[in-house]
Amino acid sequence: MPDLPALNPVVHGRLRLALLSLLSGVEEAEFTWLRAKTDATDGNLGAQLLKLEEAGYVAIEKKFVLRKPQTLYRITETGRQALTEYVQALKQLLGPAIDR
Amino acid sequence: MQDHTTEQELKDRLSLIESMIAEGRRNTESWGWTFVLWGVVYYLAIAWSAWGHSVWAWPVTMLIAVIVTVGVASLKADNHPETTLGRAIGSIWMALGISMFLLFLALGLSGRLTDQHLFVAVISAILGMANGASALILRWKVQFACAVVWWVAVVTTCFGTDTQSMIVFLVAIFLCQIVFGIYGAIAEAQEHKRRGPIHA
Repeated sequence: MPDLPALNPVVHGRLRLALLSLLSGVEEAEFTWLRAKTDATDGNLGAQLLKLEEAGYVAIEKKFVLRKPQTLYRITETGRQALTEYVQALKQLLGPAIDR
Repeated sequence: MQDHTTEQELKDRLSLIESMIAEGRRNTESWGWTFVLWGVVYYLAIAWSAWGHSVWAWPVTMLIAVIVTVGVASLKADNHPETTLGRAIGSIWMALGISMFLLFLALGLSGRLTDQHLFVAVISAILGMANGASALILRWKVQFACAVVWWVAVVTTCFGTDTQSMIVFLVAIFLCQIVFGIYGAIAEAQEHKRRGPIHA
């Protein structure tokens, strides 16, 4: 029997997984958009995004648009790779149960 | 970790990934209001041109619709993420808006807005093209059904009587603008409600 893969704990967190998945479908996104899509609180969202940034999975860009501060997030290549590997590990763990 | 993780939790993670990727790529459903707006504007323009016999009916109503659409869209775009798919869909509808505006403006002011059948056929063909292209990109069957309705309107108006042509046009506007727009808005609201908050 082959060894079962381990799930990346940084990606496995529910909100972090949602954020990586959301960012994988867009070029970049604002904090407010991520908050609206996940319905998470500012504090929780900020903390999880920080963990993703520390892991190198998310890059942050801060700028001013019409004198208003804007924080943009985008998934990095490392983050995209981590998400892909996580999905492959999930599918391997679930095996035939994936269609049940 | 997976020793403590149940099969159901793993499936839940997989479904979360799918729904979030789809959410990031979603564009058209948040535009349900524009379909309703343009549907109402078409009705107003038809009523104005039918009873008022004014050459200004279509140019003025189209101009107002473009201003309202661009104004509200620029407010909504403030925190909307940039995607290739979004740009593709947005480009189709922006090109449609410009085409319709110039066509109605030129036809209205030149006084050549006289053949009802040709007029309905041209509008229906343009709307069929935009809905069809958008539906094929998004793989959205409901929107493709709208494209089919517009294409049916193109053929019907060419061979039908004046009354049949107008009825087909009014029904197509109702189904593909008003009903489809409301459906899009409701679908978006339901999806948002169903998903609920995501905790860490």
